[in-house]
Amino acid sequence: MLLKIVKKGFLRKKIITTALFIFIMLSTLLVASGTSVIIQLCQSLNYLFVKADLPHYIQMHGEALSQTEREAIEKFAADNQLVMDQQTSELLNIYSSNLYLKDMDTAEVNSVMDVSFVKQNERFDYLLNLDNKIVEVAQGNIAVPVYYMQLKDMKLGDSIKVSDGSFEMTFTISDFVRDAQMNSSMISSKRFVMNEADYQLLRNNIDRVGAFEYEIEFKLNNLELNGIHFSDINKLSEFSNEYQAADLPNKGTEITYHVLLLMNAISDGLVAVVIIIISILLIFISLFCLRFTILATLEEEYREIGVMKAIGIGRKDLRKIYLSKYKVMAAAGAVLGYVVSFLVQKVFTKNILLYMGTAPVSAIQIVIPLLAVFIIFLVIIQFCKHVLKKFDKISAVEAIRSGTMGEKESNRLQLKISKSKVMNINILLGIKDVLGRLKLFRLLFFIFFLSAFIIIVPVNFLNTLQSPEFISYMGVGRSDLRFDLQQSEDIDQRFQEVVSYIQDDEDITTSAQFVTCRYQVLGEGDIWENINVEIGDFSVFPLKYLEGAAPANENEIALSTLNASGLKKGVGDTLIIQIGEQQKELTVCGIYQDITNGGKTAKAMFSYNEDSVLWYVISADVTASTSIQEKVKEYSQSFDKVKVTNIDDYIKQTLSATINQIKLLVMLAFLIAVFIAVLITSLFLKMLTAKDSSQIAIMKSLGFPISGIRVQYVTKTLLVLAVGIILGTIAANTLGEGLVSTFMSAVGASKIEFIINPWMSYLLCPCVLILTVVITTFLSVLSIGKFSITKTIVE
Amino acid sequence: MENILEAKGLSKSFESGKNKSVEILKNISLDIKKGEFVSVMGPSGSGKSTLLYSISGMDGITSGSILFGGKEIEKLSEGELSSLRLHKMGFIFQQSHLLKDLNIFDNIVLSAYLAKENSREMVNNRARDLMKKTGIEQLADHDITQASGGQLQRVGICRALINNPDIVFGDEPTGALNSKATREIMEILKNINEAGTTILLVTHDAKVAARTERILFMLDGSIAGEFNLGKYDGKESLQVREERLASWLVKMGF
Repeated sequence: MLLKIVKKGFLRKKIITTALFIFIMLSTLLVASGTSVIIQLCQSLNYLFVKADLPHYIQMHGEALSQTEREAIEKFAADNQLVMDQQTSELLNIYSSNLYLKDMDTAEVNSVMDVSFVKQNERFDYLLNLDNKIVEVAQGNIAVPVYYMQLKDMKLGDSIKVSDGSFEMTFTISDFVRDAQMNSSMISSKRFVMNEADYQLLRNNIDRVGAFEYEIEFKLNNLELNGIHFSDINKLSEFSNEYQAADLPNKGTEITYHVLLLMNAISDGLVAVVIIIISILLIFISLFCLRFTILATLEEEYREIGVMKAIGIGRKDLRKIYLSKYKVMAAAGAVLGYVVSFLVQKVFTKNILLYMGTAPVSAIQIVIPLLAVFIIFLVIIQFCKHVLKKFDKISAVEAIRSGTMGEKESNRLQLKISKSKVMNINILLGIKDVLGRLKLFRLLFFIFFLSAFIIIVPVNFLNTLQSPEFISYMGVGRSDLRFDLQQSEDIDQRFQEVVSYIQDDEDITTSAQFVTCRYQVLGEGDIWENINVEIGDFSVFPLKYLEGAAPANENEIALSTLNASGLKKGVGDTLIIQIGEQQKELTVCGIYQDITNGGKTAKAMFSYNEDSVLWYVISADVTASTSIQEKVKEYSQSFDKVKVTNIDDYIKQTLSATINQIKLLVMLAFLIAVFIAVLITSLFLKMLTAKDSSQIAIMKSLGFPISGIRVQYVTKTLLVLAVGIILGTIAANTLGEGLVSTFMSAVGASKIEFIINPWMSYLLCPCVLILTVVITTFLSVLSIGKFSITKTIVE
Repeated sequence: MENILEAKGLSKSFESGKNKSVEILKNISLDIKKGEFVSVMGPSGSGKSTLLYSISGMDGITSGSILFGGKEIEKLSEGELSSLRLHKMGFIFQQSHLLKDLNIFDNIVLSAYLAKENSREMVNNRARDLMKKTGIEQLADHDITQASGGQLQRVGICRALINNPDIVFGDEPTGALNSKATREIMEILKNINEAGTTILLVTHDAKVAARTERILFMLDGSIAGEFNLGKYDGKESLQVREERLASWLVKMGF
């Protein structure tokens, strides 16, 4: 009996039932995919980290390592109770002007990556192949990072070359490398793995094509740091302080386990989070549609319900009859969504699988998404029950007598035709109808609002990431060129050479030099903590400050948000810094966001001592007529130990993985939003025109042309659409900005200000939405022409 | 006098089930002259309303032709038919069929605003004039839920007349009214007709038909007979007219 009623219900409302079914399916599909991506990400990451046996603490060092220094490190490791294992890994950094990847005629001068050639590590920090096995390379061959495989579409058998003209080594790609340390495109170093014999040959000639760099790596005891546990970060900073205090080689950045974790997870994590946000929005849409459908059904079947009540069918039984229909639909949608998610999630996890590999399948991977889907099912059913409480209010007598719910719009706004100045009567009637039935049009407004939101947030985010201005509030001043001088013996001399070359260069209009030094500051609980301070004139290539401003004198310091929160300092607070033997009191003058160097940086103007120098950076702008690419080439060839970067390329290359993922999301969000807008608009108008059929017939009898009545409906949708788009855009720029900032705060960007491309966000996106909705409206109201006046009026 | 509406060989049938059709109107021919006040009578299901909607172009026909003001209605496009209804015709239905979201005044002026034949000020003045003539001037700002059935029917009449149509069609315009309201409405229609507007209405009420000039009697989709009562100008009492009509109707088998 129940099945019969359910079946009849489906057949009577095929279109709306199908639409609801699709929404429920889509939301469960996305929730299942989103949770699945997160689980896959965690598991794959964990698996990769375990297989690679990643170190917990890494100190980069850019100068040659003497035997005494090696012994000092080993002694420190042996004496320190925190240390479980230690290894010093040697990297052969190849200057980009001597490196040829795939294209054997063009060197990689435009690359922002520091490319190192290494041999496989012996104790830990293994470089893995695509089966997550320790990669082994035969003589003459090389294993290339997955990053390059994707970026340059490299294949097994392709060649790469290291050459300075006189010395040359050519390798054939025999494998690809998953490098748990440097996988992410946001980490600007990449390791190529070579055979021991080749390594020795290259090592002997390194002065001609590159330079040495070292990774001093530690595995720590009693750390539960596997996979996604962050609980031992304190121990890591304790160890870091001990290492830095021990006067050991430290000319380079220090990298900790959780930074590696974050860098690996950020791009895919972001995608998962956005998928889940979209699915939550879809659930809201489903609930709104359900409410609309249930109420419309109740209104239509009001008399029948009255009759059923009159013949003695109880409230509960009545509710059961209606609820069973929605239960079946929700269950079917949820199950299908869950099943389809297995196919769809491959698109989202492709990147994870490529960079991290597949972790062994566990029950969690199946159970958690299933649980998420089940929760959605419960929410839907609970919501239906809530809406069906309307049954309680139905009086049998009233229902049979009047056959209507008898509910009037409470917020009817009376717009009088005869008092209005709008000359086109059809447009006027359209506006009047929307104002008079706000409650009814609420659903459509909500859909348009969400569609605009779903489209504009990812577009704005993408535009922000792609914008050249983006880096200026991400820790790097906006300039055309950037010269990086990493630590080496003659760094100071090389720095002076570059500076004087730049000063003589007429193509360069402006330049500024920055020196990054490592000092210690007095942190919370009177513990000395290491801090990297960039010293220079920050007024030339200014940053955007969240609070305060750039340092203006020797006694001021600006902190990155992560440092400010770590040190618990705000603008106006005092910070004690140890410079050589001296302690100096500095005032915190500003706080800015930074995504470089793990987000922990500072900026000041005081004079520095050369011992503390980690690296130099020079920023420069060129004249309008100068080709930046040519300048990069010129400087790379003149100074082979200087990394010259075109800032636009830098953004493109470091953010490429994130940008590509966001591009995928923009497409996905756009398709979903347009699909929702089209589907709901057509369903809504079908219901609306059916509801209005008598009014339409009256208008036709009065001589309203069909085209005029269509104009009324287009006006209605356009009006609601305009309000939806305006509010959706405002929400995207405020709520959306906050939402993105929340997720981005994990990498040190606590406040993302959208850089909006007005053509895209305010013109193109709304226009596409408007066009689609208008076409949908026209198609949906075509049936008005078929409405018979006499049938409706005589009835 | 010149014909305003002519139907020749008018037939209309409906599909009912597979390969079955029911003929509602059978080869009907009729003329309506300018300024005439004609009523159509007949038992339920005889095709009265179908005839009315067919010759007014509101509903399609199966065969035959209809000439309105010299134009063949069945050959007009949907847009031309709309324009014809807007500018040349007025309709009064059994139920008032007003637009529920408009107040009474707006319901009346709406189609005139659409027609744009006159300025809105002129339309408003005409509407007020019509409302005065039909005795509902005090209802202008009222919602349609605040008026009685008789009052709403007067609103319907005002609406039908707002564009000064050549002909007014009425489908049982008094069918839902009590006898007092019926009398009042018929009085208004008489006045309109006297002012020169042609009226064709469908009714099953002999008292209503007795106030019209010519009565067509329909039976099984055909016009079975025609009775000319002459203009109701007060020279002959209404009672006498009703008796004359009644005896004719009896002869027709009504």
